Amino acid sequence: MYEISGIVLNQRVSSKDLEKRIQTAVKSGKRELKIFADGQHGIGGRLWPTSEDKKIIVDGTSGQRLGSMGMMGTKIIVNGSCSDDVGWLNCGAEITVLGDVCNGAHNAGAQGILYVQGGAGARCDTMTKFNPRFAPLQSWYFRDVGDSFAEFKAGGIAVVCGVEPRHPGNILGYRPCVGMVGGTIYFRGQADDHSTKDSRIENLTDQDWQWLTKNMQPYLEAIDRLSFLDELTKDRGDWQKIIALSPQERDDLGGNSLPMAKFRLEHWDQEVGKGGIVGDLLTDDRSILPYITFAEDRRFYPTWDNDRYQAPCTYNCPTDIPTQLRTHLIREGRLEEMLALVLEYSPLPATVCGQVCPSPCMDACSRSVFLKEPVEIGFLGGLSLDLPAPEKAPARPEKVAVIGGGPAGLAAAWKLALEGVKVTIFEREAELGGKIYLCIPEDRLPRNILNSELERFSSLGIEIKTNQTINADDFTTIKSEYDAVVLASGAHAPRMIPFPGYEEVIPGIVFLKALNNRQPMSMKDKRVVIIGAGNVGMDIAVEAYNLGAQSVIAVDIQAPASFGKEQQMAAARGTQILYPKFTDRYVKKEKKIYFKDGSFLDVDEVLISIGESPELDFLPEEVDRERGYLTIDEWGRTNQEKLYAVGDVTAPGLITHALGAGRHAAQAVLADFDGTTLSDRSTEMVDYDRIKGEYYERDRQKAGEDGDTEALRCLSCGTCRDCSTCEESCFRGAITRQETEDGGYQYVVDENLCIGCGFCAAVCPCGIWNMNPVE
Amino acid sequence: MESKTRLDVNGQLTLKELPYIIRWESDKCTRCGLCTAVCPQQAIEPAVIVQRLVSSEGPMPLPQTVRQVGQGIKQVTDIERYCVGCGVCSQVCPNDAIFPEYNAVNKFAFHKNQGGIPYKRGGRRNSTETSTLDQLKFTRVSMLTDPALDAGRHEFHIRTLLGRTLAPENMPLIIKDDDLGLDETVFIPPVREIFPIRIGGMSFGALSPNMWEGLAMGVAYLNEVEKIPVVMCTGEGGMPPRLLKSRFLKYFILQIASGYFGWDEIIHAIPHMKEDPAAIEIKYGQGAKPGDGGLLMAFKVLDLIAKIRGVPTKIDLASPPTHQTKYSIEEAVAKMLTSMSMAFDFRVPVYPKISGTKTATAVLNNLARNPFAAALTIDGDDGGTGAAYNVSLDKTGHPIASNLRECYLNLVKIGKQNELPLFAAGGVGKTGSLAANAAALIMLGASGVDCGKYIMQAAAGCLGDERNRCNLCNIGRCPKGITTQDPRLYRRLDPDKVAERVVDIFKAADTELKKIFAPMGRSTQLPIGMSDGLSVGDKAIAEQLGISYAC
Repeated sequence: MYEISGIVLNQRVSSKDLEKRIQTAVKSGKRELKIFADGQHGIGGRLWPTSEDKKIIVDGTSGQRLGSMGMMGTKIIVNGSCSDDVGWLNCGAEITVLGDVCNGAHNAGAQGILYVQGGAGARCDTMTKFNPRFAPLQSWYFRDVGDSFAEFKAGGIAVVCGVEPRHPGNILGYRPCVGMVGGTIYFRGQADDHSTKDSRIENLTDQDWQWLTKNMQPYLEAIDRLSFLDELTKDRGDWQKIIALSPQERDDLGGNSLPMAKFRLEHWDQEVGKGGIVGDLLTDDRSILPYITFAEDRRFYPTWDNDRYQAPCTYNCPTDIPTQLRTHLIREGRLEEMLALVLEYSPLPATVCGQVCPSPCMDACSRSVFLKEPVEIGFLGGLSLDLPAPEKAPARPEKVAVIGGGPAGLAAAWKLALEGVKVTIFEREAELGGKIYLCIPEDRLPRNILNSELERFSSLGIEIKTNQTINADDFTTIKSEYDAVVLASGAHAPRMIPFPGYEEVIPGIVFLKALNNRQPMSMKDKRVVIIGAGNVGMDIAVEAYNLGAQSVIAVDIQAPASFGKEQQMAAARGTQILYPKFTDRYVKKEKKIYFKDGSFLDVDEVLISIGESPELDFLPEEVDRERGYLTIDEWGRTNQEKLYAVGDVTAPGLITHALGAGRHAAQAVLADFDGTTLSDRSTEMVDYDRIKGEYYERDRQKAGEDGDTEALRCLSCGTCRDCSTCEESCFRGAITRQETEDGGYQYVVDENLCIGCGFCAAVCPCGIWNMNPVE
Repeated sequence: MESKTRLDVNGQLTLKELPYIIRWESDKCTRCGLCTAVCPQQAIEPAVIVQRLVSSEGPMPLPQTVRQVGQGIKQVTDIERYCVGCGVCSQVCPNDAIFPEYNAVNKFAFHKNQGGIPYKRGGRRNSTETSTLDQLKFTRVSMLTDPALDAGRHEFHIRTLLGRTLAPENMPLIIKDDDLGLDETVFIPPVREIFPIRIGGMSFGALSPNMWEGLAMGVAYLNEVEKIPVVMCTGEGGMPPRLLKSRFLKYFILQIASGYFGWDEIIHAIPHMKEDPAAIEIKYGQGAKPGDGGLLMAFKVLDLIAKIRGVPTKIDLASPPTHQTKYSIEEAVAKMLTSMSMAFDFRVPVYPKISGTKTATAVLNNLARNPFAAALTIDGDDGGTGAAYNVSLDKTGHPIASNLRECYLNLVKIGKQNELPLFAAGGVGKTGSLAANAAALIMLGASGVDCGKYIMQAAAGCLGDERNRCNLCNIGRCPKGITTQDPRLYRRLDPDKVAERVVDIFKAADTELKKIFAPMGRSTQLPIGMSDGLSVGDKAIAEQLGISYAC
């Protein structure tokens, strides 16, 4: 036994020098050393060769990291307790401490054995490793270990025997095994504070028990405690082991220890009540919904709203003629029905639709919005010229007087007569027709057309009294004799402007009436000025040229109100329009008309055409009027019972307006007779955006490609054309076409298939489908 | 005759004007309609699409024309139906055929005031600049200096105090029977130990029932299962009576704001309460819209909301910009603090919340003198809201960092920094860095922080961002079911999942706070005001905040 002392001549040998002396001794062949230590660092480590056994006995006060980097073949026995980090980074030495070990024993150890006769301080067995090239490290503790044991343990075996522990309640100390990823700890006694995030406790297997009992004996021998062998190996049940969780097990722990659904059930609902915090206030279904929903859970649902909206043509016809229904009937081959239909609305389709009406229907036609030319609707009106009057309804007891045989009066009488009412018309002129007859030149309206339609009118058996000028007394008589009076006396008093010389101006209506009465005024070689450049002014201009005028100039105070055929015809004849021109005076003898801007025109004849006013002298004062016109409700009722007013006597308008007003008043008369309520006449026009013009070729349409008849050209706005685009487009097949009992059809939606995507509404060529919000 | 409407695009916007442009790929699309069925704005719709192709095959020009009328998806340019970029279309599309793309050169702000109504929305300040909070770094790292702690190994106690902490010399200590005791005749302010990140006030009404309950349940779980004492503020709008009467009440801060909604119901419930609430927050302002009030639109005031708030259904619920019957700071604060403290027998901390403002120190000094003031919450301009004028959101308010810092240093000056806690809000977690922002504010002097938007995004997948994505909170069309009272929408949101995410969020934040505090050697005491731990790469910010410059 070679002795080396850490104290020489009462001087402590430095750690460096002691190390040098130990290494020198071993290199010189010494294999048993006895070292008297005085706190030197790292005694007994790093001794080679490993193939030869070396025994180091340490007395005195061992320093830190005794046996650190100890090698195989080295056996160290410490007589007494040991300082910190004994066996640090042990690479194979067998270290026996016959006493306690301080903090950090076997820290970072990789191979070798540590036998401890007593207990251990804090943070022992941390970072121990296992290298598969070698046998695993062993750390044996006889009593218990301190806090933070086996942190980040990655390998090796620790055994804590738990004999007479200092802390019997917890022999592995406070929070052992934090960060442990490998190795095994066998322990005997109570220890329940290990990091469950990293490790778990298990019972010993046969293999464990076999290893433990086999290795217990040499340990106990080494620490001189063989007498405990029986006690420590008698009952496997005294022992448990801690092993690290696998990475997978650690991941599985990542979630919450208590599933939320369970928390809700057992804690939340238990405390606040079933259904959660609003379970008492919100009883509706709260189950989770997907983003795509069906039936009442949709945001929008489609409806097949066939005929809900009026087509633009129908909507814009003041006479309410259902043009689109007529084209529809044509498409269905029901031509006669189509032709007859118009007569329910107008007694003069060929005259008005076919000739003189400016056709707001065609202006509004969707074809003219999306494509080019509108459906030729006026032409359809002309087709009904030779049709007989429809069948009359059975005669009714009531008698109605219609004062005025112009378009408004004719329409009212026509409708009333068709409904079986006995009607008498009082007309001031010799002929029926009012302004149609009196003011529309023949070249715009061939007489035979009007005559033919008036004949059909007369065929209804309406009593027609012409040349009847009605005064106040006559009116009172009529009012008392008839069950209702429809006032349709028009507006025939020319409006004049009282500038100096206005007395010399010819009212346009006088000019036109003379013309239509075949007693035209001569305009030969005259320079004519017309005050007022509206459509009547244009008619006058054309006729003035026809009567030989040299030039015609129409003046107006604003941009001319004339449009369409009238304006085109007048322009073609050379009519000039000047505006703004405010007439100052007309000096007939100078043949000059002066304007307020200082200019003048040379003129032979001045006509004025700025409209006409109703003549209402014969009416009692109590009939309400405003600004010279009678005031009526939307159905033509005046403020007097049984007195209705229609046409220009209520407001200036087109002939088609007069026809519509006559018909509406007739409906009101009938309703008032029957004491029924009239249904709301207001309708909604189909929005142009609902019509899908994209389906139709617009720019490069060749002749015949847009349908060879007007009916085929009609886009069927707002009325289903049964093309099945919706049915085809619906991705989920929620739409099907069904035959109805009346022989028609409808498209229906299965709400359990429909998600409310809006494709049907977006692709419908006719604008039938609506998407409605589900409230 | 030329077409009247189709060629007329006068006054219409182009897609380029809009903030998001829908990218739709016809060849991938099945025309299944899922996208149009879910689009909250009806910004896309099915459309008839005409295509015309002239082709020539063979060796000579032999043109053949094919005109094809098909169907597809179109984005509308109606400003009222603008695409908000939420991306729900992409979420439901089976073929990835559609998605909204942000259009940086949009002219939205020039058009979104039709009818003279300024743009209103929910969300947050639209600004993609990096906030001060996100520029702050934790540069004091213990390297063999302070005891270095290991976040994974050491035990941490990340807690803060909500309530006024008396200085030792002010504690009414007395000797009773040879033992140290408290003079119970002296008022000792109530204090709660809580997790330093709170869920800021979001009302029942602004949030859907599923969202609110999810948050509440997550908070209860955190307290009872995870033992992390997170508290949540109710926002203004009361609290469901069942919750008021439950033991969970102690995890909630009840907010009273200028509309006082729900408070008569709360007071009626007082005798039935098993627990005191965590605190009472008196809301004087909101960082997202300082000086602006709140309005819960009538259409959102359905039966449920009405019952909780104690009002009739379908009426507008206005919270004015200021508390009425307020004549001065001193008086308003004093009487509100006293009333609210009295309601719970002085057992519950009561504190005001104000929006970030240059005048915050004036409020603070006032509170410092008031023994019933338990704290002050300052809400900075990066806060969120359910509804506000865009101008308030984008252009009004004070950033939180310097405001909080100024207030903290003011407390230091008057020696009350350990007595009166400050809580900071407004942009905490704005870009996802919840714990880092919280830690930075704590080191600038906050005792804790509030977060709202972060929670909405992380717990429920709120789609909003700083490029004005979605932000439909104000009109009740939230596609995620977070801010809507429409059952078809809020039933998309599973409260259990929200609660699970709330738990995730706070567990993760707890770990992250440890990771930040460990290298500073802090484990049990928050580094409140420990500004030497912070640095910033901007000298002006460094100077203003009194922290070091590091680059």
